[in-house]
Amino acid sequence: MLSRVAESLFWMSRYFERAENTARFLDVNFNLLLDLNKITHVENPNYWIALILVTSDKERFNSLYDEYSARTVTDYLVFNKSNPNSITSCIGLARENGRSIIESISSEMWEQVNNLYHYLQSVTPQFVHTDPYGFYKEIKNASHLFQGITDNTFSHNEGWDFIQIAKYLERTDNIARLIDVKYHMLLSEAQNQTEIVAGSEDIIQWMAVLKSCSALEAFRKVYLSKIDPDNILRFLILDRTFPRSINFSVCAAEDALWRISGSSRHRYVNNADRLIGKLEAELSYTAIEDIYAKGLHHYLEDLEQRLVKVGEQVHLTYFAYHTPEIEPVDIEEALPFTGVAGGRAYWSQAQQHQQQQQQ
Amino acid sequence: MSRFFERYEPETRQFFDEVISHDGTPRAHYDKMLQRFRQFSLDDIKARREIVNIFFRNQGITFTVYGEDEGVERLFPFDLIPRVVPAQEWETIEKGLIQRITALNAFLNDIYHDQKILKDKIIPAELILGSQHFRREFVGVNPPLGIYIHVTGSDIIRDRHGNYLVLEDNLRTPSGVSYMLQNRQAMKRAFPVLFDKYKIRPIENYPQELLRTLQEIGPSSRREPNVVVLTPGIYNSAYFEHSFLARQMGVELTEGKDLVVNNNKVYTRTTRGLELVDVIYRRVDDAYIDPLVFRPDSKLGVAGLVNAYRKGNVTLANAIGCGVADDKVIYSFVPKIIKYYLGEDPILENVPTWLASNPDDLKYILANLGSLVVKAANESGGYGMLIGPESTIEEQEKFAEMIVANPRNYIAQPTISLSRHPSFFNDTELWGCHIDLRPYVLYGKNITIVPGGLTRVALKRGSLVVNSSQGGGSKDTWVVDE
Repeated sequence: MLSRVAESLFWMSRYFERAENTARFLDVNFNLLLDLNKITHVENPNYWIALILVTSDKERFNSLYDEYSARTVTDYLVFNKSNPNSITSCIGLARENGRSIIESISSEMWEQVNNLYHYLQSVTPQFVHTDPYGFYKEIKNASHLFQGITDNTFSHNEGWDFIQIAKYLERTDNIARLIDVKYHMLLSEAQNQTEIVAGSEDIIQWMAVLKSCSALEAFRKVYLSKIDPDNILRFLILDRTFPRSINFSVCAAEDALWRISGSSRHRYVNNADRLIGKLEAELSYTAIEDIYAKGLHHYLEDLEQRLVKVGEQVHLTYFAYHTPEIEPVDIEEALPFTGVAGGRAYWSQAQQHQQQQQQ
Repeated sequence: MSRFFERYEPETRQFFDEVISHDGTPRAHYDKMLQRFRQFSLDDIKARREIVNIFFRNQGITFTVYGEDEGVERLFPFDLIPRVVPAQEWETIEKGLIQRITALNAFLNDIYHDQKILKDKIIPAELILGSQHFRREFVGVNPPLGIYIHVTGSDIIRDRHGNYLVLEDNLRTPSGVSYMLQNRQAMKRAFPVLFDKYKIRPIENYPQELLRTLQEIGPSSRREPNVVVLTPGIYNSAYFEHSFLARQMGVELTEGKDLVVNNNKVYTRTTRGLELVDVIYRRVDDAYIDPLVFRPDSKLGVAGLVNAYRKGNVTLANAIGCGVADDKVIYSFVPKIIKYYLGEDPILENVPTWLASNPDDLKYILANLGSLVVKAANESGGYGMLIGPESTIEEQEKFAEMIVANPRNYIAQPTISLSRHPSFFNDTELWGCHIDLRPYVLYGKNITIVPGGLTRVALKRGSLVVNSSQGGGSKDTWVVDE
């Protein structure tokens, strides 16, 4: 498979998953505020700052808006074209990647990404504010449909595995960030209130986190109604069967990576396989106490860093120019990976212009 | 039941109409079609239009218009009434094209080797050596089988009397063949009964023929050549066609950055390392193909590709430097070129052409701007053109200045009233629209032309410009045996 095709499959999938997760972040926040407005002051910008903090986008946001509110944060995360991670940008980039490999993907996949793109072009901010629930559901369902179509119309070979790697790396990263939103909320409340209160507000917030991962029902089947932070973190980080848990997603990414390279347990072929295997093994033997011992926030931050490293190695192993004579680059000196806003699907003005000029 | 054709006004005094002859009766090869259309109501036509639109949209058959804010993707306008070309007319076109392409290839071979035609003063040497498409880097290079122009698409028109004339030779990988193939698919879906009434020669084998041609021109040392398509990328207006052809041939679609040259060999970058490439069907212009040789600012090319080509390790289709032979000035010499290399008279005539570089012609052109069509020698796609009868005095003055400033760059031709073909307007009434024909010629060990081609139609009332960028559309083209 051409490296470029593999890379475009990877980024198409990754951007799609990112759009879905952003929709989930926003959806949960709206729900949260609805739940909380009886007991607390929901105009509090802290609820919206958290969303910007977890996307590591504070500076860009501040250069565009002067307040944190439902309106500005929604605009930034849904519509803003200068935010490469807004839902509109992500779907635009997913579509662009898909278009550049239209001969490689199934026409049904193309239709789905194209449909969502055109839907987003037609949506107004007013519509989102009137019916946030409906809008975010549309995005989530479109993403699920895309995955279902992909599973059922696209050969499960190397290309499909790149789609899976991208999807699960992105999802892992996003679950970690979502849990971190909660952390930031607690933190900002702590600053205001000088101490963390695990009251009913807290439970409502944790339930919202579960809901945003579509995990509330699955969680209850395991832990009944014992909604306490320990159990929730156990479930979202360490559960091996729920498809929106970190452990599950890391396992799935590992499976896909190993299928491509032929790696197996105890025998890895490249650094991407080694790093993902190491992460998976550690998760398998981690207890929630280990996470607390490290500090939840630090644990999550570290996890995100390691995911970036895996992404770098996937890039170096499969997408970057390489010849068999060149030894794999030492992992610590690997090229900086553009991370959240990175990826292909970027054609400079000059490139676009030249492409148009050809007869 | 609707009487589309009864209400149709062919205006045969002014134009050659493809369907209705000068005495007002339908031409024999359109009888069955007219019968069939008589059975259709307006709603039948609407239903068929819907089938066709859905087909095109689902296939993603769009082209991109530039100059607006964003490149907007549009459906390529398609006319439901097919054009019928009787077999004996097609034989003439086919023979004429084979003759013409053979001669043009011999011309290129000569220009890039001994330049006999220049030494014999058939063509002024400065016209060739001064052409911006002449690539002196390729003098002496021997492409496999001596073939330069593997894929061509000459534009053919019919004059007032129905004679087929060549308007333009497109020797630099012309586009549109995917529309030809898709138009046929759409017609089969929308008009299965009508389709059955004619013995239509099939065109569906074009991708296989193209692949066979490309395999035949591979470097001689290897048995099963690895063929790839090279596209400028998704912003190119013909990107759909590039991906379509790659998919139909079952070969990789590559961009410049997918290819790498090592030790004068070309490879694709794959997830499993490098894979050798033998033949590149390139849809990137010469000037952009290798930043080391041509434009250094090219972001679409492959560094080192030209040297790999010169070493014979990879074949480019079409060869580099073909533009020197499809220049509008050289066009006027094609009858002489055919005579010189083949000793034959041209089967397909040229449109009379005046060269601004020739002082007598220049005088004539400047005196008659209001009735001539003036074209820039190196522009395509209907740009850089003055259509005399439709132009204003200011436009004519502007062109006169440009012509005098750079006579080598301009030619003029009489305004030919292209033949007309009834076409649907808003699917309610028929109107005579001007058409041309672009057959696609493949040149490997033999010359192959799939019967038919792309009939382009100027869907603006009275417009003579058939290019898709200028409001043109297309229709299916049926070469039929009796």
